[in-house]
Amino acid sequence: MPGIIKGLIVTLKHVLQIGDRPTVTVQYPYERMKLAPRFRGLHAVDEDACIGCGICDTNCPNSSIKIVKHGTRWYPEVNIGMCMFCGYCVDVCPMNAMKMTGNYELADYTRESLVYGPDKLLFKREVKQ
Amino acid sequence: MQTDELLINMGPVHPSTHGVLRFKLRMDGEIIKDCQLVLGYLHRGTEKLGEMKTYQQVLPYTDRLDYISAFPNNYCYVKAIEELAGIEVPLRAEYIRVLVMELNRIVNHIVSIGSLLMDLGAATMIMWGFREREKALQLFEMLCGARMTFNYIKPGGVREDLPEGFIPKLNEFLEEMEMRIKDYEQLINSNEIFLMRMNGIGVISAKDAINHGLTGPTLRGSGVNHDLRKLEPYSIYHDLDFKACSRPEGDSYARYMVRIDEMWESLHILRQVVDTMPEAKVISTSKYGVAPMTGVPSTVSTYFPRIFTPPAGEVYTRIEAPKGELGFYIASDGSTKPYRVKIRSPSFCNLTALSGMVKGLKIPDLIAAFGTMDIVLGDVDR
Amino acid sequence: MTNAYELIINILTALGVYDMILDMFKPSGTEFVLKLIIVVIELAVLFAFVLVTVMFLTWMERKVVAMVQSRYGPMVTGPRGLLQPVMDGVKLIGKEDIVPAKADKFVFNLAPYLAFVPALLVFIPLPFGESLIISDLRVGLLYIIAISALTPISILLAGWASNNKYTLMGAMRAVAQDISYTIPLALAAITVVMFTGSLSTVDIVSAQSGTWFGIIPKWFIFIQPLGFLLFLIASIAEMGRIPFDFQESESELVAGFFTEYSGMKFAMYFLAEYAHLFAVSGILVTIFLGGWNGPVLPGIPVVITSLVYFLLKTYAVVFFAMWLRDTVPRMRIDQLLNIGWKIMIPLALLNLLVTGFLITAGVI
Repeated sequence: MPGIIKGLIVTLKHVLQIGDRPTVTVQYPYERMKLAPRFRGLHAVDEDACIGCGICDTNCPNSSIKIVKHGTRWYPEVNIGMCMFCGYCVDVCPMNAMKMTGNYELADYTRESLVYGPDKLLFKREVKQ
Repeated sequence: MQTDELLINMGPVHPSTHGVLRFKLRMDGEIIKDCQLVLGYLHRGTEKLGEMKTYQQVLPYTDRLDYISAFPNNYCYVKAIEELAGIEVPLRAEYIRVLVMELNRIVNHIVSIGSLLMDLGAATMIMWGFREREKALQLFEMLCGARMTFNYIKPGGVREDLPEGFIPKLNEFLEEMEMRIKDYEQLINSNEIFLMRMNGIGVISAKDAINHGLTGPTLRGSGVNHDLRKLEPYSIYHDLDFKACSRPEGDSYARYMVRIDEMWESLHILRQVVDTMPEAKVISTSKYGVAPMTGVPSTVSTYFPRIFTPPAGEVYTRIEAPKGELGFYIASDGSTKPYRVKIRSPSFCNLTALSGMVKGLKIPDLIAAFGTMDIVLGDVDR
Repeated sequence: MTNAYELIINILTALGVYDMILDMFKPSGTEFVLKLIIVVIELAVLFAFVLVTVMFLTWMERKVVAMVQSRYGPMVTGPRGLLQPVMDGVKLIGKEDIVPAKADKFVFNLAPYLAFVPALLVFIPLPFGESLIISDLRVGLLYIIAISALTPISILLAGWASNNKYTLMGAMRAVAQDISYTIPLALAAITVVMFTGSLSTVDIVSAQSGTWFGIIPKWFIFIQPLGFLLFLIASIAEMGRIPFDFQESESELVAGFFTEYSGMKFAMYFLAEYAHLFAVSGILVTIFLGGWNGPVLPGIPVVITSLVYFLLKTYAVVFFAMWLRDTVPRMRIDQLLNIGWKIMIPLALLNLLVTGFLITAGVI
């Protein structure tokens, strides 16, 4: 009985939020948690820096990257359905063109829509004056 | 009285088998006469994948063995490669490795105790546990960008140095954790119902435990003070002051208490690591190192060669993972891919003792004893 | 005024419409129809009250669990998630009603309703307030204990008819538990009857009016602390909640006796469980915590204040049950039965004996 009463006291402390026991959850779709800058989410490819060398393709453990033609140049296409976000493509990129963004809401209805082509991945780095 | 035997299939889809484990129980009423374990529902062929991928590409797969505590998996595999190829690791990298592994030990024990209590019917503990786990996962996210599948420890060091603001946040976490563990202890430790459920349940003697090859808290709960961090100190553990926790009783309560004690010890280790961490580079450039690509300022270390061929040979390394002794055996034939990867996973070996432990007990005791084994099915089936 | 029927007539008379209505029925000699209508209205109000209470209790349960666990709980549907039970109901109605192929279909379909009926019947002799009682039975307490003892029948039927090993084990546990806990429950309640000399719930409540020394209310909890404790533990076991929720014990038996139920039938069990929770809390309040007794406030009709006092006390007990649920793990069924037969029943008998001696000796 004393053990149960001890437990009841500590749970009551949580109900009344005594002593640094606040509500910690976040109402997800309405408010979001701040992501760390290093978060490994959806890829992004620097349009100017990428040379389409395919090192990311060869180093990808799950072979989820393919180099495809986009306009006049070659860029990677990432199949998010197979990607495990290990970050190797970022590590090995010789031109440092690949990076990973904080976009993590990647669920979709079809497998085809999980293939992110260059049109969705490319971004233009702001040139510093 | 003439009674029939009842055959119950518990799992693979069952709330308290921690995934897809299946028990085949032969029951006499509520008493278990025989318990057979059926494994393999989560088999993904990680060992075979290890033969198909290059040394570096296998690394992310090790995250997915024991996904509750992925850093020790990372570390053990990397340590095997380092021993194979003779790569030296900078001291700061070793400190960071120990830091993340001990942090992960706390996370693992929180999840273990939480799910044990949830199986016993007290859902509060797991929610409190996940509240603190979230803080730790945010630290991991700051460190390497992922919350569970880290891929952070690389051969020759770690992927990135500690980010700005990490140490203050860690100190905050350590301080908060002390109060939280006290809360857990107040909630659980002396609760009479919990004691009734745990004391004398799933007893395994020290001799049986050794014969079954149990390791980790499960073995130390039987009074065998076997901790690889003490016996074969790896990384920087020989410089740290801590003690291996063990309890002589060998029942579920002892195993639970070992985990609580280890959380206190891990906090103690983390404080020492934070206090004595040296300032230096985090990745080795000695033997296999290559210079970074010129011209482009790199955010992450790219020193490790893209084509890595260790000398032919074989190596077995073992470390004290939170769940027990984790071992990696790697045989190399000098090519870019391992010739053979064998994983000695703690969950799998610990699970073997379960069916002997629960004979003659009841279904609720099976749940309680199984909860204290602390297994992860990704680690069992690999 | 002794019960709600007379209360309604009094209100109608006070409004000056009762004679008018009575005149409508009198010429045809069908006053009994009016009587019937009033009774039906009473029961409809009770039924609506129980349903609303159950919905509120499911919301409250979630909120209390969430508060203990540092969460928000339901927040999206309605203000502070207050409409969440409605959404749950809509969802459950929309679910497919699955009957297992090898189940005993008739019994399987019947069992959920059998579970709900006793939970509702318990409310009949429960005094919600001064004269707010459907019927003041002379054997009220006995009736309550007898009716709550019917619940295991439905559980056993459900567990047996589902043709599933888990449900059968859950049902067996529930029956063993209910049988062994009805006895200490009754024995603890009898000590109170020894003081009042009546099984009527109204008499029990009125015996607890007044105070000692003007401060301590004359509740039976102060005369019978051990009886209260035994009754509390036994009633939590009767409610089938953690730490005694063996009929469900979701981590062992998936969901116990209602593993195979889905949709509305599942909802019936849910309904029955929460109705039972409220009813048992109400009985506890009636017997040991002074029922609807409380300080009389001038200017407000006693009917209203007594209802408020009763609800406050009952919700306090309900909160305690929820609070306890979030704190302790589940016991093991054989441990529970051991405690029931080897500790609680002897203690209850001892309590009865001592109380009898003391009453005979004229000490209390």
